[in-house]
Amino acid sequence: MRPRWRKVLLDLFENPTRTLLVVFSIAVGVFSIGVIAGAYVIIANDMSASYAANRPANIELRMDDFDRDFLPVIENAPEIGDVEPRRVFNIRARAANSQAWTTLDIVAIEDFDKNALNLLTPMQGQSKPARREIVIEREVLKEIDIQVGEDLVFQLPDGSEKTLRVVGIVQDPTTGADDFLAPPFAYITMDTLPTLRQPDLFNRIYATVQGNGNDAEYIRRVAADLKDRVEKNGVTVRRTRSALTNQHPLASTVNAILGILLALGVLIVFLSSSLIANTLAALLNQHLRHIGVMKLVGGRDKQVFAMYLVMILSFGLLALALAVPFGGIGAYALAEFIASQLSFNLLGYRIVPLAFVIQIVVGIFVPLVAGFGPVISGSRVSVLSAISGDLASETGSKPQPGAKRETLFERFENAVNAALLRRGIHLPRPLLISLRNTFRRKRRLALTLFTLTMGGAIFVGVFNVRTTLFAYMDNVGRYFVADVTLDFSRPYRLSEIEQVARQVPGVQYVEGWAFASAEILYPDGTVAENLVVLAPPAGSRLVDAEPVSGRWVQAGDTKAIAITEGILRSFPNLKPGDYLDVKVRGQQDRWQVVGLFKFIDREGLIAYGTYEYFSRETNLANRSVSFRVVTDRHDEAYQREMSEKLDKHFRDAGYQISQARPGLSALNNATESLDILVIFLLIMALLTAVVGAMGLTGTMGMNVLERTREIGIMRAIGAVDAEIMRMVIVEGMVIGLISWVLGLFLSIPITYGLSLIVSLAVFETPIEVVFTPLGYLIWLGLVILLSVLASVLPARNAARLTIREVLAYE
Amino acid sequence: MVNSLLSSVSSSSVAPLIELRGVVKTYASEAGEFTALKGIDLQIYPGEFLGIIGKSGAGKSTLLNMITGVDHLTRGEVIARIGPSPVSVHTLGENDLALWRGRSMGIVYQSFQLLPMLTLLENVMLPMDLCGLYHPRESRRRALELLEMVEIAEHANKLPAFISGGQQQRVAIARALANDPPVLVADEPTGSLDSVTADHIFDLFERLVEQGKTIIMVTHEMALMPRFSRHILIEDGELVSTLQPKAN
Repeated sequence: MRPRWRKVLLDLFENPTRTLLVVFSIAVGVFSIGVIAGAYVIIANDMSASYAANRPANIELRMDDFDRDFLPVIENAPEIGDVEPRRVFNIRARAANSQAWTTLDIVAIEDFDKNALNLLTPMQGQSKPARREIVIEREVLKEIDIQVGEDLVFQLPDGSEKTLRVVGIVQDPTTGADDFLAPPFAYITMDTLPTLRQPDLFNRIYATVQGNGNDAEYIRRVAADLKDRVEKNGVTVRRTRSALTNQHPLASTVNAILGILLALGVLIVFLSSSLIANTLAALLNQHLRHIGVMKLVGGRDKQVFAMYLVMILSFGLLALALAVPFGGIGAYALAEFIASQLSFNLLGYRIVPLAFVIQIVVGIFVPLVAGFGPVISGSRVSVLSAISGDLASETGSKPQPGAKRETLFERFENAVNAALLRRGIHLPRPLLISLRNTFRRKRRLALTLFTLTMGGAIFVGVFNVRTTLFAYMDNVGRYFVADVTLDFSRPYRLSEIEQVARQVPGVQYVEGWAFASAEILYPDGTVAENLVVLAPPAGSRLVDAEPVSGRWVQAGDTKAIAITEGILRSFPNLKPGDYLDVKVRGQQDRWQVVGLFKFIDREGLIAYGTYEYFSRETNLANRSVSFRVVTDRHDEAYQREMSEKLDKHFRDAGYQISQARPGLSALNNATESLDILVIFLLIMALLTAVVGAMGLTGTMGMNVLERTREIGIMRAIGAVDAEIMRMVIVEGMVIGLISWVLGLFLSIPITYGLSLIVSLAVFETPIEVVFTPLGYLIWLGLVILLSVLASVLPARNAARLTIREVLAYE
Repeated sequence: MVNSLLSSVSSSSVAPLIELRGVVKTYASEAGEFTALKGIDLQIYPGEFLGIIGKSGAGKSTLLNMITGVDHLTRGEVIARIGPSPVSVHTLGENDLALWRGRSMGIVYQSFQLLPMLTLLENVMLPMDLCGLYHPRESRRRALELLEMVEIAEHANKLPAFISGGQQQRVAIARALANDPPVLVADEPTGSLDSVTADHIFDLFERLVEQGKTIIMVTHEMALMPRFSRHILIEDGELVSTLQPKAN
């Protein structure tokens, strides 16, 4: 090997810590971008492919009960392809050896052999149950500890229990794909329905369209026509849903979240590039004499440039060797996690060519770009300045042009020091040295501060986003103030239920709510949105509403609703006072929007009306099927306990209760899924913090190395090990603390930006940003810890050197 | 005036290998301007062993830097007639200078300036690699020959840190000879060596001069004066005396 290339090779291993630092800084960026890009591609492809492979229905109609004779009405409708009727109902179930009830959505399928839509993927055992057998969706296993061959116990409306044998576990990637908070599914045949006291009738239609299954507008039009046709034939359609064949309903949400992670990944690459630039500038500085010698013996700029370029490429290749395999594994792990959360299958482990290419481009070009400046200036340095350190000392040559002057900071520091002295305050000399050392290499300090500040600001920003999301969920909780929700299979008088409920100790207040479901129509009569109207009594204590515009519903309101902001997706210009065309139980109507409020819109939109109006409209005046109960304590455990007590109490008294739910459970389910998002954000934030810490470690290492001679002099005049270490560590801490202060300010725009992107992805509406001191305090502790850790190794190295070693250092 | 008179003393019918005409070097500093060389005229002839002698700070290393092109002059000219055609050293850019220097001039410093990560053999091969005058295999053979010449071949595969200062200086000389330059420039080459080792190095230089090399050596040791074929004294940036070649 030629000497110059051998020098490059040996330089790589000359300082293993420095090489590792550069390699790791590149690798962190390559890894994170590889994981996210890989997961992005895998999910973008597999999510919809897995979804499409199970032949999702384009149209779902939730209808009143209908029998087989009604099917031709749907099958012969224009533009309708395959049709499959099902009966879906919810029921409480438990394992035979457990007393914990869970609500399941049971899907009764006419003929499993002819199942052509919303296909089930077998996972274990059988996928086609016989009579009095049941197949469960794998999500059930999260709620109920049960295995194939064991019995599931079902609670019927009259309180009696029935048992069905679990014969298989399946995956259903399509049914309920747009609602990850829906209860898990289980599947039976129609002839099992009587066992569960259900009529042998259907209540849902799943259908495909004959035309383009990926044209949302077309599907919606066909669905509207089908609905009209069904209703004209005497069956009420409660809700219409439409979906594309080749796109998972949550694809845009997942892609938005992956987009945020991708942005953070790019930021990490950006930060690591500043770290690379810093380290390479220091390396070139340390190699100045080598460059001088090479130029002295005939080396030209381009030869030196090529040598260091090859060195950077080697750093990049080492980083790629480390990051690409882990990036691939990480990408699949992330994709698998998201797939398991959203119940779809991946098509198998594979290397994603795009992610591979991106990683290589990032691993090669980012270091080249980052190192270009330092290498160009290093290779262009004149022989004299390259070896002047040696020459000057040996030849007594005079100071060079532009010799060092007292800097502004030094003047400021001297002035502060003098002012303190006048007041009798003596700053310790070592502390002054630490402070001065901090600001000696300004470009290096600036890059280190930039990296550490960005890392900290993102870290703090993620905490703020977390608080913002949970504050929003708390806000949503204002619409769920009740501790227990009681749902009955048939309506009961308000006073009767209140009287029975109050017999349970701890019950303080009972309120019956009315409900209505409606479809909001575009002016052309097609369905824009599905709407559920919750109607508590006017002035209810159980809704602590805070409209963002207009007002809340009040006594005397008729045909008036307060609706969630989600309506603005379909009607961007809607204002309080405007009217919406709606279809309720087949009848067209017009309702006035009196106010808008923020809410999570997942399963259609929510609106609030008054009990007084809607109970009359639904022929349930003074009666209700759903009641809200307030208890004397409001924690989730107590709510759960009270739910069970009330459930038993009403059943014992002969009431047909379908379920009793603790008030916070739905909210907690929702916050759980937010937690997953926050965990991903935190992992990315920690990676940025790691890059920042690595930057600081590198800087401290370089600072100490360059000051080896000074340290020797200090030791020669009496500085002990502890004193040297303290000086280095204080310097590291000063940098850390400055970055923390800068991070305070930078975290504000980052918090706003991240919150906006996340809230748009998750809630489809901007939400109010909330700041928390928690992130700032944790980051303060972390930055101090990281600063100390980053300084300890260089400090120990400095303290270990003998005076002879350091004074001989060149 | 004095300088031009002094330079004429050593003139001969042979054209000078290197010629300095009115070389001035001025440094700017916070304290004002400082002139390190005050109009130096000097001719260096082929086969000379020229000693530039002066106290610390006299300007002798600055003068050497002008000759090697390591530093840029403020005024004047440096003409080298080393290759097929004369070269105005002061007009060359950094890259041309590097190539010219690598092929025409070997430079030896007091602090050896060997690259610590390369073996002695590789250090000697480096100029051949950078200037491209020799094929890699040829450069290896030549580097070994040079190390043999400076009596250090048995350590060829050691790193500089594992040999003595005197041995390192021999390697530096071998490296300076790598591209077979006609001129060798040495800045205090014996400054950090003990007297016995220094004597060996000086012997080596004398042998090289006998082989036809031109050597320009800077030193502050007056005692070495008699061993040069010619020496010049420099004081405060001016040549104050020059002596004819010693009697053989």
